[in-house]
Amino acid sequence: MSDNLTLPAQQGSTGASTETLLKVEGLTKHFPIYGGFPIKRKVGAVQAVDNVDLTVGVGESVGLVGESGCGKSTTGRLITRLLEPTGGRIEYAGQDITHAKRRQLAPVRSEIQMIFQDPYSSLNPRQTVGTIIKSPMEVNGIDPAGGREKKVRELLELVGLNPEHYNRFPHEFSGGQRQRIGVARALALSPKLIVADEPVSALDVSIQAQVVNLLQKVQDELGIAFLFIAHDLAVVRHFSQRVAVMYLGKVVEVGDRDSIYNRPRHPYTHALLSAVPEVAMDDETENRERIRLYGDVPSPIMPPSGCRFRTRCWKAQDKCATDEPPLVQISGNRDGHLTACHFPEEPTTEARSEDVVLDPALKALEESAGKD
Amino acid sequence: MLLEVRDLHVEFHTRDGVARAVNGVSYGVDAGETLAVLGESGSGKSVTAQAVMGILDVPPGRITGGEVVFQGRDLLKLKEDERRRVRGAEMAMIFQDALSSLNPVLSVGDQLGEMFTVHRGMSRKDARAKAIELMDRVRIPAARERVRQYPHQFSGGMRQRIMIAMALALEPALIIADEPTTALDVTVQAQVMELLAELQREYRMGLILITHDLGVVADVADRIAVMYAGRIVESAPVHDIYKAPAHPYTRGLLESIPRLDQKGQELYAIKGLPPNLMNIPPGCAFHPRCPLARDVCRTDEPPLYEVSSTRGSACHFWRECLDG
Repeated sequence: MSDNLTLPAQQGSTGASTETLLKVEGLTKHFPIYGGFPIKRKVGAVQAVDNVDLTVGVGESVGLVGESGCGKSTTGRLITRLLEPTGGRIEYAGQDITHAKRRQLAPVRSEIQMIFQDPYSSLNPRQTVGTIIKSPMEVNGIDPAGGREKKVRELLELVGLNPEHYNRFPHEFSGGQRQRIGVARALALSPKLIVADEPVSALDVSIQAQVVNLLQKVQDELGIAFLFIAHDLAVVRHFSQRVAVMYLGKVVEVGDRDSIYNRPRHPYTHALLSAVPEVAMDDETENRERIRLYGDVPSPIMPPSGCRFRTRCWKAQDKCATDEPPLVQISGNRDGHLTACHFPEEPTTEARSEDVVLDPALKALEESAGKD
Repeated sequence: MLLEVRDLHVEFHTRDGVARAVNGVSYGVDAGETLAVLGESGSGKSVTAQAVMGILDVPPGRITGGEVVFQGRDLLKLKEDERRRVRGAEMAMIFQDALSSLNPVLSVGDQLGEMFTVHRGMSRKDARAKAIELMDRVRIPAARERVRQYPHQFSGGMRQRIMIAMALALEPALIIADEPTTALDVTVQAQVMELLAELQREYRMGLILITHDLGVVADVADRIAVMYAGRIVESAPVHDIYKAPAHPYTRGLLESIPRLDQKGQELYAIKGLPPNLMNIPPGCAFHPRCPLARDVCRTDEPPLYEVSSTRGSACHFWRECLDG
């Protein structure tokens, strides 16, 4: 588990560039719901992803955050074409792959890889580690110099595993090590884009840091672009250069890391940042704003009209119910920082004169506590 | 002290050998106090709680030593039917996964009311009224209508509120919450955590909060006990621990979480893996992963040294660690 490994020759440039690798426009996925008897008919649809725009540059890491059910994983699966989009357009390296057929996709597939959340169910328990990492090369007919087995051993070393473990089975490894195997498999084809769907959320804290560091090393040194999907805002901030915040199938805010975390404009981004439990090493964090939303995310089967966040928003007005706010650059924001809100918040995360507490439960408790 | 656990030992007998899950844990909680028990998976934090609560699976589990003194009585010496009267009425537990902790074929009202019919001998009608009152308490909207609904008709946050209501039902002196918000989304997690903290203050209960998330406990806990390989490695008031940890494991944990106010740099990572409980390293269990480890750590198990009157650390070199 050495941290000072030398890496093979770099591919492409290191760090972000302005060249676009992946471009997603108006991406939509509706899962139909069937019901009725005796003849099943389509009675509705789960609007998992609705009109999402997103770009990922060459070598750039983009974070996609949101709560469960916001469509972030579905977006990842649409981009890797594990799911068929209902609408919109996915462009990879200038090529439209939205509805590309198997054969057309084949060359692209090897360039877009995925790392899954659960290292226990994403590895075949009956295959050895060597077979697992080798199979993408076999499927794509790739013969690296020195043979596939040598490449697998190099990959194992790269991700910090012992190359001698080539013939072991996944159950002989811990969760963190399994996730390293998943990373090695994703790297086997020298991809240009990796979609990482909650790659560390199933791991323990001390192991999480090891895997985040590994991914960061891979990203920096091999110049691979990442779409990093996670619900943990701190991990995303650590890892991503740009961040998109999703709520109920929509991107509500997107921008540079610093812009999103220090100067958020969308009320939901404010609420999300405020809800993150923070380890208080000093007293600085006392000065954070405090927002407590009420209730849960509404159902994506019947999303609210207009702005989807309005049912939980403290700034909502009549306009929010009728007009859907476009994702635009609001005055005072940096270039590339787009927000979908009619009544954006102040660009600061500092404590406000009055906390926003929408939860009637908490409000009532606070009032009764105040009376004592 | 409302509850005092003294030198508790728990083993699990498995086909592959004996897993020593808890190896001499001691901690105490006062009325109105919140103790956070922090640890990674396999550290023994949940097993300790199960032993306290009396819901450990025996076999394969076995309590091999120690005392659990609750309101002056050693619970481990009580008979099962006496134990059952304590459980629920005087100490209650909230579990991580509300959906699998609730019975899917009974309405939430029936499940809440059961607490009163079984423990208090109330009529079903009175119990129903009590259930509605409780649901109001944890601020579930439209309690009167929703009391007839089934667990699947509630959202995750609402279900966890029902679990809290159920734990509160008989106004116990102690609540043990095992990862109560881990399965919830951040915005919901914040609501539920605050609700729990407020109710605890209102009822002046003792609260043991078991978690792996250092952030969650920072706001609500009074004291923190950090567990590693079935032992408490550091125990301290919450502010002390965040300011200057006195054990290298605690320090490693604190440094390995990415924080909102930093980005980009390489994270500090504790090297290696947590120990196998069937084969815990001799001496200090943390020594193979510890940057401060020396020969003495490989041979002598460190006792819980007194760092200050309120603080303990099981590290031979706690002074060094404290100084950074």
